[in-house]
Amino acid sequence: MGVVILIIMAAGVAAMLTRKLPTAFALVLLGVAIAVVAGASFTGKESVLDTVLQEGSPMLASTMIAVLLGSWLGKLLDETGIAGTIVRKIVEFGGDRPTVVALGVLGVSALIGTVTGSAPAAMLAGIIGIPAMIAVGIPKVTAAGTILMGIAVGVPFELPIWQFFSTALDLPVPQVRDFMVKLFPFALVAAVAYVLIESRRRGVEHTWSLKSASAAPTSRRERLGDAPWYALITPVIPLILALGFELAIIPSLLAGVLYALITTTRPREMNKRLLRTLYGGFEVAAPPIALFIAIGILLAAVQLPGAIEALEPLVKAVSPQNPVLFVLVFTLLVPLCLYRGPLNVYGLGAGIAGVLIAAGIYPAVAVLGIAASYNQVFGVADPTSTQTVWSAQYAGVSPQQVMIRTLPYVWAVALGGFCVTAAAHL
Amino acid sequence: MTAGVREVGTDLDEVGTDLDTADDIDLAVRLLAGTPTHEARDPELLRQWAYAADEFGSALPATDLDSDFHAEIVERTDGLELGLIARYRSRPRPTVELFTDTLDAAEALIDARGWRHWYPPGSPRAAALAHEAVHERLHHGPDRDALRRALGHVVLRAGRFTRYGHVAGAEEIAAHAYARTVCGLGRSPLHLTAALADAVARREVK
Repeated sequence: MGVVILIIMAAGVAAMLTRKLPTAFALVLLGVAIAVVAGASFTGKESVLDTVLQEGSPMLASTMIAVLLGSWLGKLLDETGIAGTIVRKIVEFGGDRPTVVALGVLGVSALIGTVTGSAPAAMLAGIIGIPAMIAVGIPKVTAAGTILMGIAVGVPFELPIWQFFSTALDLPVPQVRDFMVKLFPFALVAAVAYVLIESRRRGVEHTWSLKSASAAPTSRRERLGDAPWYALITPVIPLILALGFELAIIPSLLAGVLYALITTTRPREMNKRLLRTLYGGFEVAAPPIALFIAIGILLAAVQLPGAIEALEPLVKAVSPQNPVLFVLVFTLLVPLCLYRGPLNVYGLGAGIAGVLIAAGIYPAVAVLGIAASYNQVFGVADPTSTQTVWSAQYAGVSPQQVMIRTLPYVWAVALGGFCVTAAAHL
Repeated sequence: MTAGVREVGTDLDEVGTDLDTADDIDLAVRLLAGTPTHEARDPELLRQWAYAADEFGSALPATDLDSDFHAEIVERTDGLELGLIARYRSRPRPTVELFTDTLDAAEALIDARGWRHWYPPGSPRAAALAHEAVHERLHHGPDRDALRRALGHVVLRAGRFTRYGHVAGAEEIAAHAYARTVCGLGRSPLHLTAALADAVARREVK
């Protein structure tokens, strides 16, 4: 039976890789198929309808709310000009030293990465940051990669991600936070190394381009001007509250929303802006929320007793217990999280993580180490992830070019994550 | 301001939209306005910077391409596809790429529009080399500090310490102004660039 489940999983991966099915739909179908094969009844206890679909779909509800609030805050950073102002100031201060500008944009991307993820995060930092970097001579691939590496520096502190791992892996938030704090230095060192090494290797590039003669039309929002200096600390407000004061994730994000609003908006415009950005946040959060519903369904399916019983011997046989082997095997498997592969934590990887925990093969915190490390790779180098596609295309290069340039650095981050996991939790 | 009458040269939407009436500074303002980080700038400030950058570039001493210009020159033929006329790269070794298909298209456009009195034969190529020579010079030499001072964009002042900010796009205007001056052109290469971009967009050039 376990083999049949693995074949179904492989078929699901094939459907995602070949884009026959959107990831969210494929995961729901996988969940239902696994439940049926695992012998779950149609209704009642441990069933397809009541357990997998009814209980599975809202399983990650708190993550969905955190994602929505992060998207809301991201919308506010955009509409109030906070993100744009930070990037502009960095270019003004360091513009004749391209490496300084790139490091500055990297820092802004990291800050934004702590608030929200995916393409909206890349857009917040990249809409001004990418052309500004190119304008000071940073080559296009380096510029796109800088945004992505920067966001990845912020990811270990992205509160919705903490919530996701906490709920999906059934771990307390402080335990997730502790691991993420350990992962952060690897992400930071790799990102700074990327900027310094790539700037050194590729140098600067200036083009006399036909585009330079055409001015882009400026919208009303773009003409709003700089946000006040005290509003610029908005992205760190939720982080300070959650990390420094150990406040819960949702109130921390709400505090960020309120701070952005109060520091940038006249009282009579507050209601209107809050509603407009909240509705905009829903639009931004729709794709990840759809994915989290599907992941919840898949997690509910692989946690059924029949599925655990069927998969346990197979997964146990191929999962290394020796720490050195653990690091080696999972490091070599890094490419399997690219192109929506089976180790992508926002795809089948979440199901595999569920199996590893439910079958008791690794402690939940070790599975967190595996998933969080792969997440650092996926978020930067996967040519099918929305932030990579957006950044590359906006810079005028292909996502594959960005993948080739960034992969060695994020692979090293994953290696660091696996080493920490093996040393501390195996 | 009287209702229904706009102040001349202060509305970015109308600056340089007509190549026949836009002067070189209008085009430079348009370049700055289209450069990220200037979205919220006062158009008058952009005009002031455009003047300063243009004057700076025009006043730069001429570079002897044989002795002072160290970049290797490489010719390519995919400029129209990439939307490029020339490109300077500092690594692995300083290189100027000249996109000969775009330069040929520029020559043809000059003939078609009757602009030979502004752009003599061979001048687009000479302007491209001069333009990239400025980028190399600003990248390696002390001139980039001088450009920042000339623009006068103060971002921090603390007692006697003054930090002049970078103005994105100003280097490009300076490079065009330098090329116009040393190549003896009647108009800035920006004017030719705008016309060429327009022709490519209308598929007059293939």
